[in-house]
Amino acid sequence: MAEQQQIAPDQGTADAEFLARAQKGDLAAFEALVELHRDKVYGLALRMTRSDADASEITQETFLSAYQHMGEFRGEAAFGSWVHRIAANHALMRLRHRSVVQAAEQELKGPEFNERGSFADYPATDWSRRADEKVLDDELRVAIQQATDHLPEGHREVFLLKDVEGLSYEQIAEITGDSVPAIKSRLHRARLALREAIDRFYNEK
Amino acid sequence: MFTCKESVDLLLRFLDGEMPEDEARHLEEHLAACPPCVDFLRTYQATPTLCRRALGAQMPQELADRLTQFLRQKCRK
Repeated sequence: MAEQQQIAPDQGTADAEFLARAQKGDLAAFEALVELHRDKVYGLALRMTRSDADASEITQETFLSAYQHMGEFRGEAAFGSWVHRIAANHALMRLRHRSVVQAAEQELKGPEFNERGSFADYPATDWSRRADEKVLDDELRVAIQQATDHLPEGHREVFLLKDVEGLSYEQIAEITGDSVPAIKSRLHRARLALREAIDRFYNEK
Repeated sequence: MFTCKESVDLLLRFLDGEMPEDEARHLEEHLAACPPCVDFLRTYQATPTLCRRALGAQMPQELADRLTQFLRQKCRK
C-alpha cells in the first residue's frame, strides 16, 4: 500500500479556484477537485470499512453528495476537510448497518504495572525516532494493520477519525453522537493498545 | 508525586494541553525522575505517526476511472 500523500502547500489555492468554477457549473473543475481529493476519501473509507467495494461506493456517494451540496459550501473550512467529513459520515452509516463481531474492551492490551504502580517491564527499545524513517518496514505495516483491525469497533473508529484522518474531537462527537470525554477515553485506550503492538514488534524482532 | 500507572493514564490530557497547571507540574516532576515514563511518553507520541504511515492507501486507477464515469453520468442529469 502506498503511503499517504502529502498535501502540497498551494493545494488550498487550487481548491478555491476549482471550487469557484465548479460552483458555476464547470464539471471539468469539479473533476479536478475529485482527482485532488479522491485518494484521501477512498483511504478513509477503506480504513473504516476494510472493504474495497464499500470504499469505492462510499467515495462515489461522497463526491456525488459534495456535488449536490456544493452551492451550500461557503468555504469556512477547507474543501478537503468538508469532503472528509462527508466521507466519515457515509462510512460510519455503513458500519452502523453491519453486524460486526465486536472485540471486547477488556481485551485491549496496555502496559502492565506492578503493585506499586511502576512499569512491570522496562521497555528495551525506544523506537520513537523510527516513526520518521523514510521507509516503513513491511512487517511493521502488517503488524499495525492487524492491531488496528483487532481494536473494538468504537475504539477503532475514534482512533482512525482522530489520529489518522485528523478530525477534531468535536467533529467526531458530531458524527458519532458520542460525548467528547467518551471519545478521548477510547482514543487513549486505542493508542495504548497500538503502542503495545508496535512495542512488541520492535522488542521481539 | 504520581506513579507510572497514574502518569500513563494522564498522557492524553497532558499532550492535549488540557491539564490544570498543578497536575501538569506533578506529572513533569514524575517524568524528570522516571526514564521509563519518558520513553513511554515518546513512543506513545510516535504511535499515531507510525499508524498513519502504515495505514495509507491510494485509490486503484481502475476504481478512479469508474468514479469519474459515475460522476459524469450523475452530475450531467
